[in-house]
Amino acid sequence: MERQSMPSTTQHAATRPADQVRHLLPKDIQQQIATHPCYSKQAHQYARMHLPVAPACNIQCHYCNRKYDCSNESRPGVVSRLMDSDGALKQFRSIKRRAPNLTVVGIAGPGDALANSQATFATLKKIRMEDPQAQLCISTNGLMLEHYASELAAAGVHHLTVTINCIDPAIGEQIYPWVYYDHKRLRGRAAAERLIQNQLAGLEAAAAAGMLVKVNTVLIPGINDHHIEQVSQEVRRRGALMHNIMPLISAAEHGTFFGIRGQRGPSASELEAARAISSQYMPQMTHCQQCRADAVGTLGGGCGQSEEPVVEHSYKVAVAGNGEALIQTHFGHAKRFEIYRFDKQQQQFIYLETRQVAQYCSGTHACPDDDSDKQLIIDAVADCQTVLCARMGIAPWRALEKLGVTPNVDFAFQPITEALASIAARIATPLTPGGNHEVCHY
Amino acid sequence: MKYAITDKCVGCYACQLVCPSQAVYADPDVNGRFHIHSRRCTGCEDHYDAPQCASICPIEEAIVNEMNLPVNPQGSLTGIISPGAAL
Ligand code: SF4
Ligand code: SF4
Ligand code: SF4
Repeated sequence: MERQSMPSTTQHAATRPADQVRHLLPKDIQQQIATHPCYSKQAHQYARMHLPVAPACNIQCHYCNRKYDCSNESRPGVVSRLMDSDGALKQFRSIKRRAPNLTVVGIAGPGDALANSQATFATLKKIRMEDPQAQLCISTNGLMLEHYASELAAAGVHHLTVTINCIDPAIGEQIYPWVYYDHKRLRGRAAAERLIQNQLAGLEAAAAAGMLVKVNTVLIPGINDHHIEQVSQEVRRRGALMHNIMPLISAAEHGTFFGIRGQRGPSASELEAARAISSQYMPQMTHCQQCRADAVGTLGGGCGQSEEPVVEHSYKVAVAGNGEALIQTHFGHAKRFEIYRFDKQQQQFIYLETRQVAQYCSGTHACPDDDSDKQLIIDAVADCQTVLCARMGIAPWRALEKLGVTPNVDFAFQPITEALASIAARIATPLTPGGNHEVCHY
Repeated sequence: MKYAITDKCVGCYACQLVCPSQAVYADPDVNGRFHIHSRRCTGCEDHYDAPQCASICPIEEAIVNEMNLPVNPQGSLTGIISPGAAL
């Protein structure tokens, strides 16, 4: 699966705008974003979680294949497991228990949060009742934003992301083939006009309601790359706080219109140039990567795919399970893995993220047959040093060892916390500190 | 006119959210498949100009009419026409 990687150039660009963030933002807002890993580079010890409760979408983008998750918010080609609001609350509780640093809970898809307003608001309310401290955030294409802005603010949403790719309908009709609004499917210019008008009005309403609004723009060479300055100026005028210019992802195998047409994504320098233009008007958010609607984790390991081009110096343990406190799952039956990373300062394992095995189903695998299932499970833990489970067959055992992953069934039916403590005691050798593996999300 | 959902459906729930007659339901056996209850479906005629399910469905050929013709034929939503497709 292809993934954006412009490691060095973006990292450079990141330092400059991060300073600007500090200069440009008033003190109280700085405080509000200080614990949000997606808004503040300083907040990377905090974890965030996206709850996949919003399957439907009300528009079509040419960089999206609706057989997969929303590619505004998610890496295309990865289907998340859907949840209802009760499932979302349960998931939140189980993560929060193990990751007290979980500060941000977001709804970003797999479709559009506001096209699924009932599920979205039900989830927001449940999370807020459970943990009034949790920072709630929403991502949307903006079509219904004006309609729901005050309700969102009332539900306690602080952070809002709206994807605005252009403010000119002539450009918009090259990006959005249709929009479903007011019980009709609009097409062509009319669709783009409606969407843009609603996005801008929605942005203004959200900012007026006191939410911190970030604008995402997908940079599409030849389509909106000459238009970034206008977008930036206009969204700034309407109250946006930050701009996140993201490169188009358009691999042909994702089956998107742009992918199939051979529309290329921007080069690292094109992206940097666009961000430089926009930075005249707004702080840039560059430490960010598209991530899935159900991502869970901290910045360092957040999106956590095994193919991530990130150099990890840290020791990671994967625990097979379904949220139980004991290690009781057979490796081959694992639906998900909790990933823990060894923290050098604290000399203990801290919870990093949960990986759904199904997420490793990436379209390139022929999915539903048995063999590829096994491969998916192995892929899900390939970057870890140790895998804890109750039992494991000999074939996956060998396959893992070949990858340098050590299977461990010694802790079968023992509490996860004890197993981790005992491994931590064993490996308490200091590792290289820090490491710049910043890979972020919204 | 009544409508039905084909196996092209990807289970995105959109049609279910907009149907005014609660005619859309998830397949209890097949994950990610939806169906239209033929007796409940009014074709939206009493409410709207166009069937709502087919007006929001993002997947071509997922919703068909009584003649079994797709309301959103290939290419009509995404602009993608696959070369091998018989049109
Ligand atoms: S808003 Fe998201 S889910 Fe909807 S079409 Fe665009 S990229 Fe896809
Ligand atoms: S045509 Fe109308 S009533 Fe029938 S299933 Fe579709 S939305 Fe529901
Ligand atoms: S809108 Fe289309 S793809 Fe989505 S559930 Fe309904 S029929 Fe299936």
